[in-house]
Amino acid sequence: MLKINWFSPLPPQASGIAQNFCRQVLPALTVRHETILWTDQDSVSPQVERLARVAHFDPANPPWRALNEADICIYHLGNHGGFHGGIWRISRQHAGIVVLHDLCLHDFFNVVFLRGLKKPDEYLAALERWYGAEGRRAGEAFQTGGISAENMGRRFPLTREAAHGALGIVTHSPHTLAELNEKLVCPVAGLDHPFAPAAESVYRAWLAARNRTPGPPYRLVVFGYLSTNRRLESLLEALSRMPERGQFHLHICGELWDETHIRAEIERLKLEPLVSLHGFLPDAQVEEQLSAAHLAINLRFPSMGEASGSQLQFFNYGLPTLVTRTGWYRTLPEDTVRFVRPDHEIDDIQTQLRALLADPAAFRGMGECGRQLVKNYAPETYVEALIHFASTCLDQTAHVAALRLAGKIGCDLFQWLHPAGSEHLLEQASSGIATMFEHTPSCAASSKTSL
Amino acid sequence: MKVLIATSGAPFIRGGAEILAESLCDAVNAAGHEAEIVTLPFESWPPSRIPEQMLACRLLDVTESCGQTIDRVIALKFPAYLIPHPYKVIWMLHQHRTAYELWDHPVAGDLIQHPDGPMVREAIRQADRTLLPEAKAIYTLSRNVSGRLGRFTGIEAEPLYNPPAHAALYHPGPAGDYLFFPSRITPVKRQWLVIRALGLCREPVEVYFAGEADNPAQQAECTRAERELNLTGRVTWLGLVSEEQKREHYAHSLGVVFPPLDEDYGYVTLEAMLSSKPVITCADSGGPLEFVVHNETGLIADPSSESLATAMDALWADRRHAATMGEVGRQRYQDLKISWNNVVEKLLC
Amino acid sequence: MSKPRGFKVLIATTRVPFIDGGAELHAEGLQRALREAGNRAEILFIPFKWYPPERILDQMLACRLLGGREADCLIGLKFPAYLMPHPRKVVWLLHQHRQAYELWQHPMGDMHAYTNGAAVRQAIQYADRELLPQARRLFANSRNVAARLRTYCGLEAEPLYHPPPDARNLHSGAAEDFLYFPSRINPLKRQHLAMEALAQTRTNVRVCFSGPGVEPGYDQTCLALARKLKLQNRVEWLGSVSFETKRDLYARSLGVLYPPLDEDYGYVTLEAMLAAKPVITCEDSGGPLEFVLDRQTGLISAPTPEALAAAMDELWENRTAAREWGAAGRDRYSSLHIGWDHVLEKLLP
Repeated sequence: MLKINWFSPLPPQASGIAQNFCRQVLPALTVRHETILWTDQDSVSPQVERLARVAHFDPANPPWRALNEADICIYHLGNHGGFHGGIWRISRQHAGIVVLHDLCLHDFFNVVFLRGLKKPDEYLAALERWYGAEGRRAGEAFQTGGISAENMGRRFPLTREAAHGALGIVTHSPHTLAELNEKLVCPVAGLDHPFAPAAESVYRAWLAARNRTPGPPYRLVVFGYLSTNRRLESLLEALSRMPERGQFHLHICGELWDETHIRAEIERLKLEPLVSLHGFLPDAQVEEQLSAAHLAINLRFPSMGEASGSQLQFFNYGLPTLVTRTGWYRTLPEDTVRFVRPDHEIDDIQTQLRALLADPAAFRGMGECGRQLVKNYAPETYVEALIHFASTCLDQTAHVAALRLAGKIGCDLFQWLHPAGSEHLLEQASSGIATMFEHTPSCAASSKTSL
Repeated sequence: MKVLIATSGAPFIRGGAEILAESLCDAVNAAGHEAEIVTLPFESWPPSRIPEQMLACRLLDVTESCGQTIDRVIALKFPAYLIPHPYKVIWMLHQHRTAYELWDHPVAGDLIQHPDGPMVREAIRQADRTLLPEAKAIYTLSRNVSGRLGRFTGIEAEPLYNPPAHAALYHPGPAGDYLFFPSRITPVKRQWLVIRALGLCREPVEVYFAGEADNPAQQAECTRAERELNLTGRVTWLGLVSEEQKREHYAHSLGVVFPPLDEDYGYVTLEAMLSSKPVITCADSGGPLEFVVHNETGLIADPSSESLATAMDALWADRRHAATMGEVGRQRYQDLKISWNNVVEKLLC
Repeated sequence: MSKPRGFKVLIATTRVPFIDGGAELHAEGLQRALREAGNRAEILFIPFKWYPPERILDQMLACRLLGGREADCLIGLKFPAYLMPHPRKVVWLLHQHRQAYELWQHPMGDMHAYTNGAAVRQAIQYADRELLPQARRLFANSRNVAARLRTYCGLEAEPLYHPPPDARNLHSGAAEDFLYFPSRINPLKRQHLAMEALAQTRTNVRVCFSGPGVEPGYDQTCLALARKLKLQNRVEWLGSVSFETKRDLYARSLGVLYPPLDEDYGYVTLEAMLAAKPVITCEDSGGPLEFVLDRQTGLISAPTPEALAAAMDELWENRTAAREWGAAGRDRYSSLHIGWDHVLEKLLP
């Protein structure tokens, strides 16, 4: 059993991590391990307070003594600067396990450094630290509007900046991380996103409800926190150009980043009769929507390397889904989703919608395959894997001290060590550090040493 | 043999470790060897400085000096005991305590207050585990220190007792009307506990405190408690006294009250025994418990003011028994054969 | 006129364990002066072993990792201790690591004999150039040391003289029949040159040598030379002597013989002056040349046995000049205002 300091967005925060991820994980976690939920939010839902003690921290003045009473800190980072900025500020001062819900974090650092902390030099320093002079120059260009955020995010994901000094990193998209080429020096665990599927009986009830209204019109659903990377505009465009569009009805359920703009698009494309904007829905209505839907549209581009909790939800409901072939989605089994290529969005969307019209049974089958995928998921599995990983990382805490020391020495030597002396001294220093701080499994448990 | 005594010290602070190193050096020289002390500066704050200074010790070379072999290194403290040497003997005064038993101590715990604390704590523990076994032999200051070493690092080490400074000059004397408590005035020594106990005593027990406070606030705390409990007249604050004055106070006391919290060793206990005086201590006092035998050389109370008061009353009421226990204490000291000769022999064998 | 008092000052220097060296005297003198002026001063002696050359690099890094940030200021005296970081560091250079500088490839240097000597030399020079300027102020023991720093590193240091250790107690007396050569017995001090010169004197000059042997083999060489040149009756080897004996020898000598090679500073010269004795030194002796005025306070000869012999003869035969030059030397010392007050004025913030 570990004493855990847990840092994440918590309900009622409008964040997928708060709403989906924490809802799944926290009950399983808090029942097994003594947990304190640390937050810099103004308020936290009563349901959360019933699960574990909630403590407040000020990112500018963290309560180190209180934090040090636990065994380990688990920090949840994502691309949203507002939700994760405070958490990150603590994580970089105090080594713990960092769960990277997104892997491409340029947006995050943009918001935190430039808008939050107002420290543009730290932003540039971070870029230079990992990407050299090129990174710095690009950062400068970005600040004056010469390069787009999308471009920066693609070329400089800054994953290493978020992982810097961590005891260990958890990702739910290990393939994506591998592809990013951001080599991490700490241990990395690739865990399946946690999920608590509904009972079989509930699932059957949903299927029954869906079969009562088999369509056409086929109900298309889009869910979640809908920003530009959810490709809504492409979807609307694709739909508007299809003569068969009357066979579909699109339900947009979730917070829109720019509702006015989307409404204007719908109007422009004359899609009013085919599109319903529901806004953010409470749980009961979410269930209604999902059980009645025929196809979920879960496009993401560019991907931030996030795994999709909502995708697991679609599988839970046995919903076939359209996903973009990128990031974590690329790793989904072929028989559970249909793919849309990022560079052929409109064409591919139309192709798949037509396929649904032509063979709805095939799509129902796809939904069933998705259900099979998740029906054995359990948040307990995730918690166990997470804590096991955290424990093994704890054993390596001294390693973080070693890296820190090496970094400090490197900086100092850079000032005064001539190349002629470097081979010898770097070897001495690194072997000295390694001997002292690297954990060797055969450490003497007991050695009689006197007389 | 050429023997280098390696220790660490915070600059400008002179304490027991410095005195011990000097006594050891004198003893080694007296035994016909050549000994010298090397004191490496050690600053433990902020915590990130600790791993740096640990590495600094690893980078030193004390295998020989100007062509002459340095035959032995006797290392006393962290991180000096990390200095490499083919024939290193550690006589451990203590490890870096706030990485171990003092980690979450309400007053002394310093690493726990810092974001780097846990990381540095683990670094210290890892290095101790890996490198302490490099030594040819490890001795400690006391069973208490050995116990901690065994508990935390899994290493067994024999305690090696040393005499207090000027041991030969302590002497008995007729018992007067006070208990004596010489020590730095600081929460871990627990003068405050004695004052509270005094407030509960049935006998008109008096206590003489000798020593200076680490910081003035601590002295103020004690005098405030004294006033609140109406103990004026029962407590005397001698302040800093000379060694000779201290010996006199021992000699003329009824007994010594010394109930620190988890003391590493505790010269006070030995000084009392050398002065043929009984010692009142507590069950959690650490070092003193290795010497005080309950009802034979002194009294071991529970660490509560009530229990301590009872013990102080008992001593106060039965002067004969107090004197007897003092004698037995003196004899016990002799029987333990605590001497520098013994220390040097063990360390250099 | 003294500086404000009450600073916490750390003096960073090196120590070669078990070897008696002049550098400790410098640090101790500084410490005493600081304390007498009301400051707290401690000396950090970092153990130093300079061979094989790569060890030096290790110890340079060790010094970068150590440090006394707690202090108000750090005064660095010797390599590599003067590399210790401190926000208010003042370097008062006794000398740099001579084997990497003027003694490189010199018969009395040793670094060039090692395979990686050249690489380490480069590293030392580079480090000095990069890190010495980090000090708030840079002083040198003498103009000679400052000149070397300028020549090799392009850095400017202000010469800052200080009194020799026993300055207060040195006194003069009636001259007897011997020249005094007090110094550590090592090739750089050139006792062998003195003896070769002695073998060539016309007159019956006698020389008294005192000082610890530090260079293994060199004292044997000297003794062998004495026997070979049949100087046994004219030479006295006293080894290490007490301050008292040394003072007495200065006082009774006819003059002081001190022909080292490129000496950094040279307490001997100043001690001679304080004892009002003339000094015989050589054109390449370095430090002494900043004090000795030829034919006014002593004699400066070419560094050959013949020339040195001639100088010794001259002094031996001209007792009046010896006395006058001695007195002039005493006056010259006063005129140079060499005092600890002045030193502290320069060094403290």
